[in-house]
Amino acid sequence: MTAFSDLFGRRSPVPLPGAPGMVTSHAIAAVGQRWQCQRCNQWIAATDRLPNGDWYCRTCLQLGRLTSRDRLYTIPEPNRFARLVAGGLTWHGQLSPLQMQAAQAVRKHALGGQRQLLWAVTGAGKTEIVYPALADALARGWRVAWVSPRIDVCLELAPRLQRDFGGVEQCVLYGGQPVPYHYCQLTICTTHQLLRFDQAFDWIIVDEVDAFPLATSPMLQVAIDRAQKAQGSCLYLTATPGERLQREIKQRKLAVTYLPLRYHGYLLPRLQLKISWRWRQQLRRGRLPAGLQRQLRLWWTTRRPFLVFVPHVADLPVVMAVLMQAGLSGGTTVHAADPDRQAKVQAFREGHYHFLLTTTILERGVTFPKVAVAILGADDPVFSTAALVQIAGRVGRLASDPGGQVLACCHSNARHVQRARAMITRLNRQGRRQGGRPC
Amino acid sequence: MLTCVWCGRAFAPAITVTMIWQWRPLPQPALCKTCRDRLTPISPQHCPQCGRQQTTVEVCRDCRRWQDSLYNRAVYRYDAGMKAYMQQYKFQGDYRLRLGLQAALRTALDRMDYDILVPIPIDERTWQTRGFNQVTGWLTGQHFQQALAVTATHKDRPQSAKTRQERLLTPQPFELVTGASDLLVNQRVLLLDDVYTTGRTLRHAAQQIYLGGAKAVTSLTLAR
Ligand SMILES: [Zn+2]
Ligand SMILES: [Zn+2]
Ligand SMILES: [Zn+2]
Repeated sequence: MTAFSDLFGRRSPVPLPGAPGMVTSHAIAAVGQRWQCQRCNQWIAATDRLPNGDWYCRTCLQLGRLTSRDRLYTIPEPNRFARLVAGGLTWHGQLSPLQMQAAQAVRKHALGGQRQLLWAVTGAGKTEIVYPALADALARGWRVAWVSPRIDVCLELAPRLQRDFGGVEQCVLYGGQPVPYHYCQLTICTTHQLLRFDQAFDWIIVDEVDAFPLATSPMLQVAIDRAQKAQGSCLYLTATPGERLQREIKQRKLAVTYLPLRYHGYLLPRLQLKISWRWRQQLRRGRLPAGLQRQLRLWWTTRRPFLVFVPHVADLPVVMAVLMQAGLSGGTTVHAADPDRQAKVQAFREGHYHFLLTTTILERGVTFPKVAVAILGADDPVFSTAALVQIAGRVGRLASDPGGQVLACCHSNARHVQRARAMITRLNRQGRRQGGRPC
Repeated sequence: MLTCVWCGRAFAPAITVTMIWQWRPLPQPALCKTCRDRLTPISPQHCPQCGRQQTTVEVCRDCRRWQDSLYNRAVYRYDAGMKAYMQQYKFQGDYRLRLGLQAALRTALDRMDYDILVPIPIDERTWQTRGFNQVTGWLTGQHFQQALAVTATHKDRPQSAKTRQERLLTPQPFELVTGASDLLVNQRVLLLDDVYTTGRTLRHAAQQIYLGGAKAVTSLTLAR
């Protein structure tokens, strides 16, 4: 097959001359008096006109600039894939009876073309729960995308899918990916990358659907809708669905599968509240809240790896300095714009650091065995209810070590902290009904 | 609240007492503090010829090798922050980012002494694909003369793709536009460019401007 397949279900500003069935459209189209980008559907600001007279789209600039001089080229998705044995599944693990139940429900909804949500607590093993449905979909010749708004989630997922679906050709797409795009049956990518597709996928799995920036970006919602075929469907995965999804469940617009219990059968760790009165003022004087310092020292001396979450990037060096002064060495800081972010996270996982001091970027999608967690300033509005539940969910992921502590230090009694505690309690009540054990 | 043109976040502009005291319309900053701090202005301790930031005010090694009397000033250091800016503005073609540095360039131009401002031109292909001249994008109504053009025969890789040695060997890429001599004769000309790297481009441009009869040529670049 020639490289014409590069245009299957894709929208590219570079034409492939002679490609059979290639259709084309303006990249930026006049709609009434305004101009609209046909890749990201956003309106062009009246000021974004170049001196040579062209209009350009700022919103999707990161994917390569489109101007009113450009055209987009597509070949309608033909699903030209080799037949797969067992849907390419090479995973030989076992699902627990609860996981199996959920997996069957997901598969039924997927084959029925229903929009659906898998609401599984952190550590439920939601990735593996999707495997039977995914293997089925691939065996039917469906083109599938597994996407997430978080690049960390994609990077942790890709090697797992490569290993567990060894029979399927895959590619991984994100800003700055090292390997160029090629046509294949299973695509793992960030939601941003979906803007480059057009009715390509029969099924889209959206991992961590409530994570930033997807939850607040109408552009990315559009991207998911348009990357899906007209008769395609999608599956949302999360432990903490937002209000919009919960409303759709109530209105029966969205099929839902619950899994309130972790794969190892133990309940979720609870948020332990510590009132830390005026902790910022204390920090400025070079002190941590006493209770927190005692706990961190205990973890440090017993060699339990731990994560400390702070509200803002600017807090990182301050807290780090105080920790160093207290003799808690061997840790490092990680934030969103940190160029060494991936390497540091990996080094922590391998035990080269005692602790990581970080912001909400590590709230989800990353798993560290035996980790304990402290949140400084849990009442700060940057920690949403979902973020707190996700952060607590980093703890107790191993069957051999299902316990572990989550310390939430607050200056005030904020409502979202109470909501997070209530959500964990509610999930645990449901989990107990399914036979969950306290840890 | 204003929106930062670079990071897109909303920010409140800092208002100082002197600004109120001056009783002029308050300038509307285009960059938030975080983004402004990504760029490093060059301090008075710089090379007296090329304007590069250093710890002394002696002529730098590069300039000693040129053995000429070029006079260039630069506004910012060409560091990681400036490279990120240029990447988005010039190479990704985000024309709106020009607003971010217009104020800084206006201040710098006010400090220079000249009769005619001549921006370094871009070639026809770049004009078609990029759609703007990155240098004139920073101007806010300052009068300038497009006295130079890129020669039609000049087909070349971008300067940024070359090694230092290759850049230094680049043949003359510019010519004077028709009638340029009438404008330039006996004038003090200020060339304007985005980045001073080896100084090759500016020297080529200055050479042509002198041929047009200018009595002095100096230059200003956004970064060095
Ligand atoms: Zn766009
Ligand atoms: Zn900014
Ligand atoms: Zn110098």
